[in-house]
Amino acid sequence: MPSGALLFQSVILGLLLGGLYALLASGLTLYFGIMRVVMIAHSAFLILAAYLAWWLHENIGLDPLLSMIGTVPLFFGAGLLLQRGLLSRLRPATLTMMSVLLTFAVALLVEGLLGYAFSGTQRRINLGYGSAGLDLFGARIAVVKLIAFGLAVVALGTLWLLMKRTRFGWALRATIQHRDAARLLGIDTERVAGYGFGLGLATAAIGGTALSLDTTIYPSLHWHWIGPLMAIIVVGGLGSVPGAAIAALLLGLAQSLLQIPMGTTWAQTIFYLALFVTLAFRPQGFFGGRLAQRF
Amino acid sequence: MPSVSRVLKIAAIVLVAAAILAFPSLAPNPYVLSAGVLVLNYAVLATSWNFVGGFTGYISLGHGALAGLGGYATGLLVVKGGLPAFAALLVGAALVAAVAVPVGFAALRVRGASFVIVSIALVLILLLVFQSWASFTGGSRGLVVPRPFDLSRPEHHRVFYYLFAGLLAVALLVWWLIDRSVFGLGLKSIREDEDKAEALGTATFAYKLMVFVVSAGFTALAGGLYALWFGDLDPVFQFSILTGSYLVLMALLGGVRQLFGPLTGAIIVGVALEYFKVEYGDTPLHLVATGLLLALVVLFMPDGVLPAIGDLIRRFTPGDRTSIREVSAAELRDQRLQNAGGTR
Repeated sequence: MPSGALLFQSVILGLLLGGLYALLASGLTLYFGIMRVVMIAHSAFLILAAYLAWWLHENIGLDPLLSMIGTVPLFFGAGLLLQRGLLSRLRPATLTMMSVLLTFAVALLVEGLLGYAFSGTQRRINLGYGSAGLDLFGARIAVVKLIAFGLAVVALGTLWLLMKRTRFGWALRATIQHRDAARLLGIDTERVAGYGFGLGLATAAIGGTALSLDTTIYPSLHWHWIGPLMAIIVVGGLGSVPGAAIAALLLGLAQSLLQIPMGTTWAQTIFYLALFVTLAFRPQGFFGGRLAQRF
Repeated sequence: MPSVSRVLKIAAIVLVAAAILAFPSLAPNPYVLSAGVLVLNYAVLATSWNFVGGFTGYISLGHGALAGLGGYATGLLVVKGGLPAFAALLVGAALVAAVAVPVGFAALRVRGASFVIVSIALVLILLLVFQSWASFTGGSRGLVVPRPFDLSRPEHHRVFYYLFAGLLAVALLVWWLIDRSVFGLGLKSIREDEDKAEALGTATFAYKLMVFVVSAGFTALAGGLYALWFGDLDPVFQFSILTGSYLVLMALLGGVRQLFGPLTGAIIVGVALEYFKVEYGDTPLHLVATGLLLALVVLFMPDGVLPAIGDLIRRFTPGDRTSIREVSAAELRDQRLQNAGGTR
C-alpha cells in the first residue's frame, strides 16, 4: 500500500494534469459541436505551440508564457483559415469521414515539417523556476505544473465567459445547436463557425505553452496526446464541454493514481479502456445529449 | 454486343493481371522483386480495407494495426506455439477476426466519428501493449519469425510474390461477390444513408460488424504473410498509424467504389513510397509528402482516379448513362409518360 503522502501527491498531480486535458478536450469538443469534425491535428498544433515556445526561449530568451502573445492570435488565424479554406470545402454528405482524413493529413504535415525544421531530437526548456516546488502537506508540487494548471483554468474560464456572456458566444452556441435556425435568426453561421475553429485552435496554443514548461517535446509526441484526448471527448459525450471537462479530470486522476501500481506506460491504457467500455455500454457518452447519440 | 467501355475494361484487367504475373520474371534484381512483394502486400491490405471503407463508407485508420496483429499472431504461433507456418497463418487470421468482433461491437454502435476514434485508439493501444509486454512479444528488440521455406533469397521473394498475388485474387473475388450480393446492397445502403437503410429494415449494425470482421480477417492474412516473408517484426512498424493512412490514401486515390481501385492506388502509392525511400532515405519529408497527397486527394479527388478515367471514356461514348443519380425527376417523368404512351 503506498503511503498517504504519495497518494495525496498523485491526486494533486492527477487533478493538475486533468485541468490541462480539460482545456485541450474543450477545443476538440468545440470543433465537433460546430462542424461534426473530429480534429486529429489538434494535438499536432499543441506540439507546434510547444516548439514555438521552446524556439523563442532558446533564440531570444523569451519566457514561454510570453510566447502566447504571439502564438494565440497566430493559432486563432490558423484555425480560421483551416475552417474557411479547407474544411468548409468538403462535401456535406461525407464531411465527418473526410474531415478526419483532412485533419489527419494536416497533422502529418505539421509533424513532418517540425521534424524537418527542428530534427527529431528531444527538446526541453530550461527555466529558472523549472525545478522550484511547493511543499503541501508532505506532497511536493512543481511550480510549473501549477502554472500550467492555472493557465488551463484561466483559459477555460475565459472560454466559458465568452460562450455564456457575449453576443458572439450566443451566436456560436446557436450555430452549434441548430445551424439552420441560427441562420434564420440572421447569424452569419459561416463566419461564426470559422471564429469557433479559431477559438478551438487557440486553446491548443495555450495548452502547448503549458506543456512546454515541464515536458520534453519531440515531433511525434502528438500521437501520445490525441489518443487520450479523443477518449476523453467520447467518454464525456461528443459535443459536451462540461462532459469533456469532467471526463478529463476523472481520467487524469485515474491515470495519475494508476501510475503508482502499474507504471507510466500501462497507466495510459486507462484511457483506451474507458473509451471501449463507454462505447460498448453507453455509446453516447456519460454527459452527451442528443447530438452524441448519432455520432 | 458488349459496349466499348466494357471491352476496354476487360482488356485493361487482363493486361494488368498479365503484368502482375509476369513481373517476377522481368524484375532485374532481387531488390526490385522485393519491392514488388511489398507493393502487392499493400494491394492486399488496401483491398481488405476497402471491404469496410468502400461498402459502408466507414473510414478506418486502424487497419495497419490489424495487419500488425495478424503478423504478430502468426509469428508468435510459430515461435512460441510451434505450429507449422501456414497453419499459424490461418489460426492467426482467425484469432484477429475474433478480436475484431468486440472491437467492431464497440466501434460500430454509433456513427462514423466514434469508429474513426476507435480505429486510431486501436493502433495506439496495441503499440503500447506490444512494446511494453516485452517478455511475450519481444518488445522493441523485435520478433524473429523463421522462414517457412529453405530457399535462396530471390526464390524466397518469388514464392511470396505469388502467394501475395493469390491472396489478392481471393480478396478481389470476395469483394466482387459481396458487391453483387444482397448483403453488399445492404452495406452500400448504409454508405448512402444509414437512417433510411435502417428504416427500410436493413440490419445495419449486424451488416457493419460482419463486413468489419471479414475485412479484419483478410487484413490479418496479409499481415501474417508479411511476417513469414519479412521474418522480423518490430512494434513501431507493425503498429504504425502511418500504415493505416497509407491504406486509406491508396484506396481513396484508386477509388473506393471500384473493385480495382485499391489495387491501382496501391501500385501508384506503393511505387512512389519505394522510390521516395531510395531517393531521399528516411527523412521527415515522407510525412509531408504523404500528408500533402492525402489532403489533395480528399479535397479534389475523393472519388479516386478510376472514376475519373471512367468519366473520360464515357465522354466518348454518349448515351451510356447508367447511374440513377444522373437522371433528374423531370426526365424520369418524361420517360414514364413515354412508356405509358407506348404500351397504350
